[in-house]
Amino acid sequence: MASVFNLLDRLGPAGVVIQAIAVTLLGIAALLAFILARRGWRSRLYRRRDARVVEIRAQWDTIIDGRSRPEEWRRDPVSAEIVETLLLDSLEEASGAEAERLTRALRRSGLLDARIHEARVRRGWRKRQALTSLGRMRAAEAIAVLAEALDDRSQATVITAIRALGRIGCPGAAVPLLEHLVTRTEPLPTFPVENAIIGACRSKPEVITPYLDRAEPEVKRMLVRALSEIARGDMTDVLLRLTSDPQAEVRASSARLLTLAPVDIALPALSGLATDEEWFVRLRAIVALGQLQHPSATTSLVKGLCDRHRFVRLRAARGLATMGKHLTKVLDEVEATKDRYALQALLSELELSGVVMRYVDQLTITGPGRTHAERLVRRMVDLGGRRLIVSALTEHEEPAVREAIGGLLATCQPGPLVPLVERALAQAPPDASRQLLERVHATLVDALRAGNEEAAKPLKAAS
Amino acid sequence: MTELLQPINGSIFLYYLVANVVYLALLVTAIYSTIRHQRQLSLVRPDRIRHSPLAPPISLLVPAHNEEKTIVESVDSLLALDYPEIEIVVANDGSSDGTLEALRERYQLIETDIVYVQEVQCKPVRAIYMSQVEPRLLVVDKESGGSKADAVNAALNIASSPYVCVVDADSILEPDALLRIMVPIFADPAKVVAAGGIVRVLNGSRIENGRMTDVRLPRHPGEVIQVVEYLRSFLIGREGWAFFNMLTIISGAFGVFRRDLVRAVGGYRPGAIGEDIDLVLRLHRLLRERKADYQIAFVPDPVCWTEVPSDMRSLGRQRARWQKGLLDVLWPNRDMLFRPTYGRIGGIALPYLWVWELFAPIIEAAGLVTIVAAACLGALSREFMVQFLIFGYVFATMISIGSVLLEEITYRRYSRWQDVARLIGYCFLEHFPYRQLHLWWRLTGLVEYLRGDVAWKPMRRVGFRPQGTT
Repeated sequence: MASVFNLLDRLGPAGVVIQAIAVTLLGIAALLAFILARRGWRSRLYRRRDARVVEIRAQWDTIIDGRSRPEEWRRDPVSAEIVETLLLDSLEEASGAEAERLTRALRRSGLLDARIHEARVRRGWRKRQALTSLGRMRAAEAIAVLAEALDDRSQATVITAIRALGRIGCPGAAVPLLEHLVTRTEPLPTFPVENAIIGACRSKPEVITPYLDRAEPEVKRMLVRALSEIARGDMTDVLLRLTSDPQAEVRASSARLLTLAPVDIALPALSGLATDEEWFVRLRAIVALGQLQHPSATTSLVKGLCDRHRFVRLRAARGLATMGKHLTKVLDEVEATKDRYALQALLSELELSGVVMRYVDQLTITGPGRTHAERLVRRMVDLGGRRLIVSALTEHEEPAVREAIGGLLATCQPGPLVPLVERALAQAPPDASRQLLERVHATLVDALRAGNEEAAKPLKAAS
Repeated sequence: MTELLQPINGSIFLYYLVANVVYLALLVTAIYSTIRHQRQLSLVRPDRIRHSPLAPPISLLVPAHNEEKTIVESVDSLLALDYPEIEIVVANDGSSDGTLEALRERYQLIETDIVYVQEVQCKPVRAIYMSQVEPRLLVVDKESGGSKADAVNAALNIASSPYVCVVDADSILEPDALLRIMVPIFADPAKVVAAGGIVRVLNGSRIENGRMTDVRLPRHPGEVIQVVEYLRSFLIGREGWAFFNMLTIISGAFGVFRRDLVRAVGGYRPGAIGEDIDLVLRLHRLLRERKADYQIAFVPDPVCWTEVPSDMRSLGRQRARWQKGLLDVLWPNRDMLFRPTYGRIGGIALPYLWVWELFAPIIEAAGLVTIVAAACLGALSREFMVQFLIFGYVFATMISIGSVLLEEITYRRYSRWQDVARLIGYCFLEHFPYRQLHLWWRLTGLVEYLRGDVAWKPMRRVGFRPQGTT
């Protein structure tokens, strides 16, 4: 070997390069060997694991009910891991008696205690893995050790503990988390915290309310956001108190909460919030008013449709689009505002949400629904929502509906319709829909020539 | 002459040395970061986002220019994505083929008058269509802007969700790709402003109903080499840079951004050739100037499958365009270089892009010429020259095999032995002769850009069908 190094020394810089090449080639060989060895090892491991899964599945009930001694499978790490994985996966889907049975199995087998022990003594990733498993086990005994982990120096571990507390899914798990939030000052990422509170407090949201007064502004925002997902309608006092909170984010969340309150309480409160100075509070209030789907909300929603902020207008339009049989009245009210942006926002939303096409489909039904549909579609066309209806004249799959649209368009104001129909005509293939377009066009042009700007005649008959 | 060549050769050796050290460092970082990510995944399951009421809606922006062969399957795959709330906005950028007709037929499109506010710049919109069968789909038909950026901007103007995800129309996302890419954003939405996912080569694989059903390596050597390139670029390059929060590119084929920030920077630059890197750099600029505590993340497991050029002519055009795009982006942002305001982006990431990406073809070509000249003139031992070239080749090959290793220890999309063996085999071809060809394309791109030739050149597409089928 010495002679090789002597030779490299004599080669000078070239020797260094040769050494580098040799080292790199060794690196390549090592990488290749690692890839091959790992592939081989994994395929053996998975074969063995699959065989073990089949065996465990065959005696699953005896394992769960404790008829086979846990030592039989816990000694083998692969078997222990398989049983724990299967148990936790089953527990995620289970409820009631089955969940209790699986939790008993976790306790009886010692898996729960083993994970609690690991969560206490391990560090880093192992500790986080144990905390995650404890969360999935949904056992009350795990709450204490998860609460301890909230004080860990590593933020990753703290976040894992927060998630695990959320997964336990009982109000008792929320208490240490809420206490931690109101007593500590270190900032925590909002989504995991809010998610955990939602998960833990879903069955008992009132657990959160005592902490609202104790929380710092930032924590209070998180708590109210979480509360807004799980609150119940009977928490009216809390909800109304929040509508006058100095923090705009809290007021915004309270607007969302108010959809749960009785309409007579929610409406005045939301109408007030819909005029808030902060746009996102108004936005939330308008969204909530829309969700109420109550005709009394129309006035506030129409005001929202004229709001100076685009998103508020769009959300107000979305709310108004759900007004069903009151829509014609809504269109009249919006027209009366003389706000073209507001009108366009509403027409857009009616098209985008599928409301227009729903009413177009009703043009061929019998009964009062048809009259309402005709009135609404004609009103839309006259107010400017023409393009979609003209498109439906050729694109709708039902010939009867196309004919009904043609008949309706022929009785609308012809002036603005003629160019659109001509454009459609230029692109239409020579089929039945083209003939219909030609008839509509002829009727509208006749009406236009006759100086009839108000409404055209009934649709010409097919030749 | 000899005296002149020696310092040049010395500089080139130094250049190679630094490049190799950086790449080795990135490989080691990527291995560490990937293992950490894998462990993290065992703790945070992406499907938790699916059940969370807090999961933010996402608008998927799909620019499409002459994509009639792939657009329907691509939109189908997007509609099948596993995410609580999505909206898909396809921007048909003046296609001259049947892209719009394919969409119209499949989704029963119908023209609508919905509000369109041009908040970011783009060419005029001709019509907006909604679907009679799929309420989550909108199609914006616009005049051709000659760039993907222009099309994305049109889609951005109509997007209504707080996050936007740009997806190429010739790409397929895996069903849980959005859930996975949102993991870092969901973990810390105040800090993580954008996230990029990995893009992989779909050529050769089987797609059914917009879903990848069988992952296979392509047969054509040019396509397999691109698989190796993509693995190296994403699993080592992006992962490594993202670890240090210095990611300067999120692939235009798949990335999620906060919509308010994208609008705040004026959307994509309509004339930009490398619109993806341009957007990320402008986001860095904005956030650094605001002194924001932010992160642009890379997530290596949400997979986007994309069709890569299958013939050398198209591949050459694509690479030349990428090189033009790099110059087109770096030049307007040259004021960020070494300015303390821009921190590590201006101090490390951008200088790296200038020297080891933009100038790389010039330096490599000059290096080859001067080393050969020095060897011919006797200023450099011919044996040393050969050894040096061999070392460069072997080292770069090792890095490429490293990316296959990363793929092996983590994601293992290519499960067949023969696929892995072929991948490794092609690692040995990537740096000779493919790299020299690549060098030529990149040089061509620079020359074309300097001559003002920035026009989009068409690329041949075969669509989503496995090789060997008709």
